[in-house]
Amino acid sequence: MNNTVLIMNNICKSFGSTSVLRNVSFKVNRGDVLAILGRSGAGKTTLLRTINYLIEPNSGEIYFNGTKVINRRQTIRSVRSKIGFVFQNFNLIRHLNAIDNVALPLVKVKNMNWRQARKQAEKALIDVDLADKTSNYPSQLSGGQQQRVGIARALVMEPDLLLFDEPTSALDPSLVGEVMNVMRKLSLLGKTMIVVTHEMRFAENTANRIIFMENGEIIEDTDPISFFNSDSVEIKGFLNSVSEAV
Amino acid sequence: MKKLVSRSLIIIILSGFIAIVYFSMSRVYPFNWDVAVKYYRLFLMGLEMTGKLTAVSLGFALLTGVVIALLRTSKIQVFQDLGTIYVWFFRNMPLLVIILLIYYGLGSVFSIDRFWAGVFSLAFFEGAYIGEIFRAGIEAVPKGEIEAGEAMGLYSYQVTLSIVFPQAFRISIPPLIGQMVSLIKDSSLVSVIALGDLTMRARQVGTQTLASLEAYLILAGIYLAMTSILSYVGRKLERRLAIP
Repeated sequence: MNNTVLIMNNICKSFGSTSVLRNVSFKVNRGDVLAILGRSGAGKTTLLRTINYLIEPNSGEIYFNGTKVINRRQTIRSVRSKIGFVFQNFNLIRHLNAIDNVALPLVKVKNMNWRQARKQAEKALIDVDLADKTSNYPSQLSGGQQQRVGIARALVMEPDLLLFDEPTSALDPSLVGEVMNVMRKLSLLGKTMIVVTHEMRFAENTANRIIFMENGEIIEDTDPISFFNSDSVEIKGFLNSVSEAV
Repeated sequence: MKKLVSRSLIIIILSGFIAIVYFSMSRVYPFNWDVAVKYYRLFLMGLEMTGKLTAVSLGFALLTGVVIALLRTSKIQVFQDLGTIYVWFFRNMPLLVIILLIYYGLGSVFSIDRFWAGVFSLAFFEGAYIGEIFRAGIEAVPKGEIEAGEAMGLYSYQVTLSIVFPQAFRISIPPLIGQMVSLIKDSSLVSVIALGDLTMRARQVGTQTLASLEAYLILAGIYLAMTSILSYVGRKLERRLAIP
């Protein structure tokens, strides 16, 4: 199997007259854990959303598993079914309990029946340590638990790529650890992940690559050790502002 | 406990007040409650007609409501505008005028059955309000959940059916019950086209027996009972379907 999961080629995106992504290009190999860092408004989230076409880029090419992603219903559906997306605000379906939230994509996209789907969903929930919360509704779960359901929902489709959009930013500091632990476990299992985050410890200890963005451009694409020891003025400035905030 | 005491108190005071009014009235007006017993068949016939009319109109009104809500929330401008014009027209027109327009107006061009004239008047009219209720329900579903559905790979119709509609429906239940109560009350207006509903039957009893007060009091009691039962069932349903 080809080792490259994702190729982003000269991606541009603007909203009105504001250019948010300028010629962004990078590749992701199987097993990569890529952290995307940068200040607010640098274009990180927009970039993540163009990968599965939640936002359509204005120009540029995206190749996923060797196939060019184009704006066609079937193509987008098949790409999305192979890319798990974990949202900052969890975005669980409120009227479904945890197990049905996880089973939903299996039923609707993989055409499984609910009984089979729930069986698989239960396994996915066990993997994120929520075996005892399967019948709880989102409102009956803590933020950290909701986010782990969100991760289980992404995992259950056995995706080739997992996208995380600031997965711990909406959480109480005391709940960040449980979500980070799950993500660390996934990286050890060899899952390919792209994580937009403000968690420097995750970037330093778990990621094997860091992309640093500013003003819609990739300023640096390197390994964590080089990144945290970089001489670049922008990166130093960013790291200082982050450590001050902490 | 507080609630029980307060309610019992209100019931006692209210019953006392009604009794005083009733007995002081009965000194000048000889109440003749025999009408209720003698003409119960007419009331039953009226009840049957009102029930049938309300149920059939409700079915069509719900259907109209869904269509209007879909038009109003559509991404296509022409559809949005069509929905807006519909709602504008039917919400700014008295129901009585709609009934007259459909039965006597359109009726002079096409032959329209009384019952169906009543059904369509009510359905078109209430459909505009129900459409707005559904629209508000659809718009209240968090955008993030819709996005999550899209990110999973669901087609947009699947997002609508499995994520948007179930929640929009639950959100719509309380105002929808209110609208159904309105529909029952508004159905009394069809008596102007001599459709034998409850109101028309009560008027009949009143004119035939000269016991108008008794006939209309019975009529008021029946409407109050019907709408109260519906509100009660609605509250139960709302609680049962509530998202924890």
